[in-house]
Amino acid sequence: MKKNRLVGAAASAITLTLALSACGNAGGAAAPEETGPGEVRVWLVGSDTPKEARDYLKQTFEEQNEGSTLVIEEQAWDGLVDKYTTALSGSDAPDVVEIGNTQAAAFTSAGYFREITADEFETLGGSDLLPGFVEAGDWEGKHYALPYYSGSRVVFYSKQVLGDTPVPTTLDEYVQTAVDLKTDDLSGVYWPGQDWYNALPFIWENGGYVAEQAEDGTWDAGFSSEGGLAGLEQIQTIMTEGNNAPADANETDLQVPFCEGKVAFLSAPSWIQWSINAPEEPEDPEGVPGCASTYGSDLEGMALPGKDGGAAQVFAGGSNIAIAQKSARPDLAMSAYEIMLSDEYQSILAGIGLFPAKTSLFEKVDQSTSIGAASAEAAANAKLTPASPKWADVESQMLLPTAFTKIASGDDVKTVAEQLDADIEEILNS
Amino acid sequence: MSSTLLDSPAPPRQETRQRRRPSYVPWLLLSATMVILGVLTGYPLLRLVVMSFQEYERAQLMGQPAEWVGFDNYATILTDVDGFWTVLLRSFVLMVVLVVVTMVLGMLVALLMIRVGKAMRLLVSVGLLLAWAMPSLAATTVWGWVFDTQYGVVNNLLTAITGDRWFGHSWLINPWGFFLILTCIVVWGAVPFVAFTLYAGLTQIPEEVIEAAQLDGASAFQRFRLIQVPYVRGIITVLVVLSMIWDLKLFTQVFVLQDIGGDRELTNTIGVYIYQVGMAQGHYGLASAIGVIFLIVMLAISFPYVRRTLREEVQ
Amino acid sequence: MIKIRKRLADTGFGVLALIVFVFSAFPVYWMINTSFLPNNRIRGENLAFFPTPDVFTLNNYRAAMFGEERAPFPPAVLNSMGVTFLTVVIALVVGFAAALALTRFDFKGRRTFILMILVVQMIPGEAMIISLFRIIDGWLLLNTIIGLTLVNIVGVLPFTVWTLRGFVNGVPKELEEAAMIDGCSRATAFWRITFPLLAPGLVATGVFAFIQAWNEFVMALVIMQRPDAMTLPLWLRTFVQATQATNWGAVMAAAVLIAIPVVIFFLIVQGRMTGGLVSGAVKG
Repeated sequence: MKKNRLVGAAASAITLTLALSACGNAGGAAAPEETGPGEVRVWLVGSDTPKEARDYLKQTFEEQNEGSTLVIEEQAWDGLVDKYTTALSGSDAPDVVEIGNTQAAAFTSAGYFREITADEFETLGGSDLLPGFVEAGDWEGKHYALPYYSGSRVVFYSKQVLGDTPVPTTLDEYVQTAVDLKTDDLSGVYWPGQDWYNALPFIWENGGYVAEQAEDGTWDAGFSSEGGLAGLEQIQTIMTEGNNAPADANETDLQVPFCEGKVAFLSAPSWIQWSINAPEEPEDPEGVPGCASTYGSDLEGMALPGKDGGAAQVFAGGSNIAIAQKSARPDLAMSAYEIMLSDEYQSILAGIGLFPAKTSLFEKVDQSTSIGAASAEAAANAKLTPASPKWADVESQMLLPTAFTKIASGDDVKTVAEQLDADIEEILNS
Repeated sequence: MSSTLLDSPAPPRQETRQRRRPSYVPWLLLSATMVILGVLTGYPLLRLVVMSFQEYERAQLMGQPAEWVGFDNYATILTDVDGFWTVLLRSFVLMVVLVVVTMVLGMLVALLMIRVGKAMRLLVSVGLLLAWAMPSLAATTVWGWVFDTQYGVVNNLLTAITGDRWFGHSWLINPWGFFLILTCIVVWGAVPFVAFTLYAGLTQIPEEVIEAAQLDGASAFQRFRLIQVPYVRGIITVLVVLSMIWDLKLFTQVFVLQDIGGDRELTNTIGVYIYQVGMAQGHYGLASAIGVIFLIVMLAISFPYVRRTLREEVQ
Repeated sequence: MIKIRKRLADTGFGVLALIVFVFSAFPVYWMINTSFLPNNRIRGENLAFFPTPDVFTLNNYRAAMFGEERAPFPPAVLNSMGVTFLTVVIALVVGFAAALALTRFDFKGRRTFILMILVVQMIPGEAMIISLFRIIDGWLLLNTIIGLTLVNIVGVLPFTVWTLRGFVNGVPKELEEAAMIDGCSRATAFWRITFPLLAPGLVATGVFAFIQAWNEFVMALVIMQRPDAMTLPLWLRTFVQATQATNWGAVMAAAVLIAIPVVIFFLIVQGRMTGGLVSGAVKG
């Protein structure tokens, strides 16, 4: 009796195995030179790529490659480097991947991406492609990852909240205005402590630097340089005296406090305007409510003001795309890659306010609104993080969010900066 | 290392054990285990040791040959006082705290379950069962939500009770707060098992024994110390050993809680640290060296236990 | 007098029991409560402490199960169930065979084997991730249930063997021998006599394997990278990580969905499980 039951269990176990393993497509072992129809997997990160662009990509690809399919699998920014490290080295690797511009070097330097030959580079856009981003995806003179889009941060505000307060025109005024406006219910600048992208302009504008490479190749981190400290002091002033955002929160959900009318200035990627301008009662149950009828109705944008007026140097956020070295179908992957860098596809990205991979398409970004104009101004002054393949490790270690969380909670700026510099140098010079 | 007392110490009957049996039968029975462990533990363990002597980074994962670096990785780790040694010490201190708190609370709850009436006992059991059944990742997420900086119910209640403004108070930013909540999560999930097991053990004490002690005028504490504890000593040992293993191997809770908030550098425990060095930063050689060192530390600590166990096996 | 004191004490302990209940059940309650509330009663300072009919909503469950923006729910359930089931069954069968060899036979190499089982459990699993990944990758088992099952078995097998060995040791073999005298073969004697006595031990060990496999997170993170290959813990993570607003209501709904199967399973086996451990331990 018992025996039979056990045998039965074993048998059903085997059946289950066979049935279920069909879900998981072991695939991937295909010989690299395979032709004919196949499947291409594209990994996009976060929700920045709009649905319209995704549909266009899938549809165009499947029209151009009859019988083949294209699947978009959305990845999360958190833990992205960890995931790519294994996923792209495995037999079941995706074919085309999006990667943060500052993270690309970790993979280009280690042979994770297929080389884009000089000819292919010319076909895909050549010198029209955003130079800073092309550089971010180069390694030892060869191209591996090309620009996907860029989007620098813009400062948003609504006159309903700001009232008569004049819009600041210098960085010092910006800090002062934030402190003056702050009450228990209102953040002058809403700035969660982990949002380090917004902190870099303060460092740069005050003459500091993130890290610089000396002649002998060693890196020197500059948060504790004179300019760095001055910038950090300003950051701490805003974070502690002009801000109600939690010191340990990250930059998700930024539209929520804004839509509650609790934020005067919000420095965020330009696409957040669509979240703010979403209806209060979203039709999609998953949709996050915005405030189109209230604070979204008179939403304005400006470039972060610089130390001496004008636009500040801000962090050039954005992504690169690459073809995985282990892609089973490089031919199909290239086809998808070409679509993603095509004028049509990139124009869709431009349509929602992202800066396309090609400079010739910049005019497609609507600059008639203050937000569009501000993002163009910001993009023109954008800077990148240090060009070291180890920089991705600085990011995956969360050194900067951690340091700025400490600054936001009032720790001594100098101590934090020195510790941060030591940690960064340890990684970059290891 | 595991439950000492799950193995009954060799009773005399074991002498009759060794009758003539075909010598291949035990190996046949062991074969599946040996194949699985040999291939999926033995080989990776070998790789671990090999990699710990190599410079093994992301590029090597993509097939570039690894360079031998001798004991460089070990030197780096062993001289890293702020990194490795701090993490190691922190992991052990945390383990001790977690085990002690879990055991004490578990025992108190078990005693309480004996003392209260049937209805109350059922109520407690239901509560414990719910906590026990929560998968660790889900539990960590829920606790993170309960203590959420902006919208957490704890901050909400504190604001309501104290009248001060607690919204925006971050619990995880301070390492002490982080470990307080981590302790809550782990203990909350571990107490039910301990309490249920101890309760089951305590109820097996014959009632006459307790009654006799009561008649002799033994106080509640004396009964506890002189009768109940000795009776369940075996169970306590098992539970302590199990808790030690589980708490040293803690990974998911720390990893996920660090994502919700908190300073990684000040809150890493050994498992998460190895993951950070290896998977996140791509220094597989270094991570392997940490793994080997940790294994050696574990072997050294458990040496007396292992030796005793093996000696019991002599018969 | 004594009666009053006793009654006071009873009330006191009753209150304590209530406190224990509240503390252990509150996070679970809060999870369930949040999962039934609309976003505006979760966020902000106007929290709802009960999902009263005027605010009650199933939208969070709808979003969790049918939301298009993340990995789909049904395959995650199937994957988790498949992996857990296979892990438990295989670990028990294989581990039980090994436990028999270690308890009912004496052979050269027995102690070495026991030593190995002990040592293996001290290896920090995180250090082995990359090597295991490469093995599974080499066998082309990435993103498959079998691949993750293999890795899970490796994780639970040493513990399973060790625990079962204790339980088998606890059953006197004289029972078997007596049956054999009555004319049963060795195998029959074992299945008829010893095996039923081991049931609580098998249940207890199976529960440990179940918990491990159901909760397994870090290896799944590396091995199951396709959205349709994710297990439930990975699926839950996709909620917390989204760059967009964390929809806490949906997260809690997802957490409820993950916890339900475990609660059911525990309700079924709870009594036997502690019973099993106690019977194993008390005899020692």
